[in-house]
Amino acid sequence: MSEQTERSFQKQEAVFLNAKGVTKKNTRWYKDIGLGFKTPTEAVQGTYIDKKCPFTGNVSIRGRILTGTVASVKMKRTVIVRREYLHYITKYQRYEKRHKNIAAHLSPAFIGVKAGDTVTVGQCRPLSKTIRFNVIKHTPKQTKGSKKFQTF
Amino acid sequence: MGISRDSRHKRSHTGAKRAHYRKKRKFELGRQSAQTKLGPKRIHEVRVRGGNKKFRAMRLEAGTYSWGSESISRSTRIVAVVYNASNNELVRTNTLVKGAIVQIDATPFRQWYENRYAQVLGKKKRASADEEAKSAATKERSRHLQAKIAARKGEVEPALDDQFGSGRLYAIVTSRPGQSGRCDGYILEGKELDFYIRKIRNKK
Repeated sequence: MSEQTERSFQKQEAVFLNAKGVTKKNTRWYKDIGLGFKTPTEAVQGTYIDKKCPFTGNVSIRGRILTGTVASVKMKRTVIVRREYLHYITKYQRYEKRHKNIAAHLSPAFIGVKAGDTVTVGQCRPLSKTIRFNVIKHTPKQTKGSKKFQTF
Repeated sequence: MGISRDSRHKRSHTGAKRAHYRKKRKFELGRQSAQTKLGPKRIHEVRVRGGNKKFRAMRLEAGTYSWGSESISRSTRIVAVVYNASNNELVRTNTLVKGAIVQIDATPFRQWYENRYAQVLGKKKRASADEEAKSAATKERSRHLQAKIAARKGEVEPALDDQFGSGRLYAIVTSRPGQSGRCDGYILEGKELDFYIRKIRNKK
């Protein structure tokens, strides 16, 4: 399956493809993002090109690391992460539920991300108007009796 | 000029319309783009933030292009803009921008290659035997030099060889002419070259 779907040639900036007399093909550049986060095997062995991927692209993860649940996966290579929290009202000495949505870039290294999964996002430089975070860890939602048939 | 790069005029992430509470600031300014065309060199100097300079190339005709697999760079004439992934209009008007595919003059690269490897490039197109005899590939060399040359491996892929025959190579611009005043880049090879040749042919 080709990853050349755009009008310009997609390639990793860090890899020179045309060296003379070099037999080993399909060199891929990837990095360890640090802070103890494992770089997924799909990032190392896959063929996708994503300059905004934290493992195979040109972004560094620094600053805040947050977690949340995936609210929507409808966008191309990005997800909305919903973070719930409780806000205390001093007058009534009680809490109220509040939430914030974060737009985060989802690398193709993470496959099978669905709404409801838990996800860890790390802060990076602004990638678009609203995206300042990048998904760095994905934990699928555990359903009870997951051996049962699931609708896709 | 009126071009500003602020985000205060845009709606927020939630969709709320942001109140207009201050005027445009100088640090948010944007300038007109240099639609760099082909022609005798014309570069305007711009004083930018911090007292630094930007060189806005309005017209350029040459640039330094690198032949990656041979690790050399030569200054060559730019002949034409042939493909632009973003906008066909920029191709039609021969506008030089980063990422544009251009055709460059192949002679400096051919001369270097024939000097180094003593092989003729673009053999099929070169009709006359006189040209071959005069070229650097067949000039007088000392035995020591000939031995050195024999040890070198000169292999060029067929797609590049054809381009040498026509005297024009496909290259991609990797500098930003409107910022640095230069139109430099590298010669397309391998998969990238195939990709862009297919794109160019499909457009025709």
